[in-house]
Amino acid sequence: MGKAKDPAAVMKKSKLRREIKRHRSIYILALFPLIYYIIFKYVPIWNAQIAFKDFRAIAGVSGSEWIGLENFREFFNSFYFWSLIRNTVMYSVGKILISLPLSILLAIAIYECTRPILRKVVQTLAYLPHFLSWVIMYGILLTLLAPGDGVFNDIVKLFGGHPIDFLSNTSTFPWVVLISDAWKEMGWSAIIFIAALMGIDVSLFEAAVVEGATSWQRVRYITLPSIMPVIVTVLILKLGTILDAGFNQIFMLYSPQVYSVGDIIDTWVYRQGLLDFKFSLATAVGLFKGVFGMILVIFANWLSGRLSDSSLF
Amino acid sequence: MKKALSLLMAMLITASIFAAGAKEPAAAQAAGTPEDPVTIDLWFGAAITEAGMIPEDWIGYDILRNEHGIDLKLTMLPSSESDQDMKIQAAGAGNALPDLFMVRRPVLENLVNQGLVAQVDDCFEKMPVRTAQQYDADSIRNSSFDGHAYGFASPGAIAKNEGLLIRKDWLDNLGLAVPTTLDELTEVLRAFTFDDPNGNGIDDTYGYGAFVETDASLKGYPGSRLWPIMGAFGVEGLWCFDAPNQGLSIFKPEFYDFMVYLKGICDEGLIDPNWLSYKKDDFRAAWKQGRFGVMYEQNAAYASESNYAPFDMNFPDGEWIIIDAITGPDGHAAIGAYDMNYRIYAVSQKAADAGKLDKICELLEWMSSDEGYYLLGWGQEGVNFVFDENGTPVAGDLGDNAFTGSKGQVYTQLRNMVFYNSDVELASRYPTYTTAVSGKEMSALAALRQMQGMKWTSGVGSGTLPTPSADVQRYYDQSLAEFLSGSRALTPENWQAFLDQFKAIGGADWNAEGIAAMEAAGLVRGE
Repeated sequence: MGKAKDPAAVMKKSKLRREIKRHRSIYILALFPLIYYIIFKYVPIWNAQIAFKDFRAIAGVSGSEWIGLENFREFFNSFYFWSLIRNTVMYSVGKILISLPLSILLAIAIYECTRPILRKVVQTLAYLPHFLSWVIMYGILLTLLAPGDGVFNDIVKLFGGHPIDFLSNTSTFPWVVLISDAWKEMGWSAIIFIAALMGIDVSLFEAAVVEGATSWQRVRYITLPSIMPVIVTVLILKLGTILDAGFNQIFMLYSPQVYSVGDIIDTWVYRQGLLDFKFSLATAVGLFKGVFGMILVIFANWLSGRLSDSSLF
Repeated sequence: MKKALSLLMAMLITASIFAAGAKEPAAAQAAGTPEDPVTIDLWFGAAITEAGMIPEDWIGYDILRNEHGIDLKLTMLPSSESDQDMKIQAAGAGNALPDLFMVRRPVLENLVNQGLVAQVDDCFEKMPVRTAQQYDADSIRNSSFDGHAYGFASPGAIAKNEGLLIRKDWLDNLGLAVPTTLDELTEVLRAFTFDDPNGNGIDDTYGYGAFVETDASLKGYPGSRLWPIMGAFGVEGLWCFDAPNQGLSIFKPEFYDFMVYLKGICDEGLIDPNWLSYKKDDFRAAWKQGRFGVMYEQNAAYASESNYAPFDMNFPDGEWIIIDAITGPDGHAAIGAYDMNYRIYAVSQKAADAGKLDKICELLEWMSSDEGYYLLGWGQEGVNFVFDENGTPVAGDLGDNAFTGSKGQVYTQLRNMVFYNSDVELASRYPTYTTAVSGKEMSALAALRQMQGMKWTSGVGSGTLPTPSADVQRYYDQSLAEFLSGSRALTPENWQAFLDQFKAIGGADWNAEGIAAMEAAGLVRGE
């Protein structure tokens, strides 16, 4: 005997259909990224099982032998495991601590700038480094920082100092990584904050001016609180990739002299996993990073919701 | 909504299972005739990567199709070795290797272990011309594992093609003689650094120039650019093949002495301080800008027309000369260690299973025939090259279409598959020329012959020895780098502690495996 349809459910469904029909152009636009994610992000999840297998290409993903957690054990027992974790987290957290505030500051500075031409010039110059590859950035950094004839060391020598090999010195290398990343990505990261700033109701600023608020007070009491949800969202998303410290950058900049502070999980995976044909090991590390990142995102989201009423989901 | 979500999840899971489980349908065997040619997918190492791909109108495609029933599909591999390795290994992981592909031995070993590469023991007799030209016992050993050949190893870069060079004009300016001992070299380096050898009144020169150029088989850290100094201590080359010290050179007591010497010249500022940061191109730009007066460089990188031109323009009165090995405190002397270099081409198991092995042999044999050799090496006669009175292919008056010109050079992208360093090739590749500014007569071939005539240590077989795990490699490189940079004090106690730890994390096993492999291959000298 058929069950009678719940009128509320029927109404809800038809409302959903109407909504989809009304906003069909938006849904069609969303369809392409959705297909992309299904094909390139969800379908390959099947292959993640090789993290638990001794993957042999000839046998394929399904035919390779199960070996349980052996690949994870190999990673955790690596001679450099803790050093890799320390370096990776150091660069990830360092980049958040340095790049995020700088991006916000840049966005506010651009937003507050009243001269359109100057604003556009600064904006363009700030975006530009994002489009340079790390190969080119390495060349620029070498020109600036080389101990023999780098610009910085020329200044150091001019004042009677001793040249510093910034790229080969364990004390200076992390700072080179963090600052060069901030320089390269600051402008690009500022875009999202500029977009958020554009959404602030202008009447709030007008009222503040009438009340005699200074620029700093406007920033402190209107601008920052208004973009706080975006800042929290960006922070939560960045926590999800905390074990991705920037392979391209480190790979270009590091050398054996600075392995102790430069080697990160991804460079280790590149050498140990990919070059040595240990794809199972590389997948295991990738899975570990993904799970760890997901736990952090969930935790940060929960914490953010508890502390500031602002969360992603 | 829940139903829709469940449906979506079910579709995703099904799609992923189908994606993973999908097998390629078995293709019907081609007849190997012009009408039904066998397709051979070849991934090759291009001669000039920046020049671009061989055009589709290349006559070689027609010859192969019409006369051999082969439809050749070409793909250029990336120029850097690590990128090549990545591409090949990624294809291997997906069981999607091409029919024939260039591969380095360590990667080939991985692929062999995975069962992805075909044995080619029976192929050599099917290619009599090519085998006589390119594959001798050494080369076959280079592509063999457990007594079976898994690739075709053709002669690669010429052995002993690097040398120790010194600025003769600087020596003359300072009234110094060519150094022959380590003490004399140190004095020259000191004078080049502190006595204004270029006479410009500015403190802008250094004694020695280098960069870190290493690998896991022949050039251990700090790399081959320091070999002439390492040779003075008898520790050039990652491996020592001389009994009773066979094994990793790092375990020889003289290695510590070398490190002390190198640290000393670093601390004194006699070596360009950028050397630890330089990449190859930075180093090459630096010597052309006159930053240092002693270096270890490759013959063509030093003396070919395009490479020498910037130096010639900057320093018309400048002159580098090639000198012999420096003798160390115990009488050791060597420019460096050399191994035979090979370019290995392997056949995928998939191609062999598809019955393509015979056609691949036919393709390779054609490449080494007179027709294939000149076509791949220099292009079409009269279009891309002409023969001179000695029978050497030359550019003549063919302009841009010549094999040396911008249009013609793309037709020679496959030349490394046929070249075997014959006299004709070398004479053609390294012509004698007169420099544009100083009017000097130069020849990279003459430089090569001079470099080959110096004192070298044989490291033949290094390329077949085991390579370390990434952690062991990192510990080795990082520790030596830290000793040199001063972040770890270079004392006998610290050195011993480094060796002990190195052995403990896998260095001892690596050394033992290497010794076993060199003994099994009969590579140990003086037993």
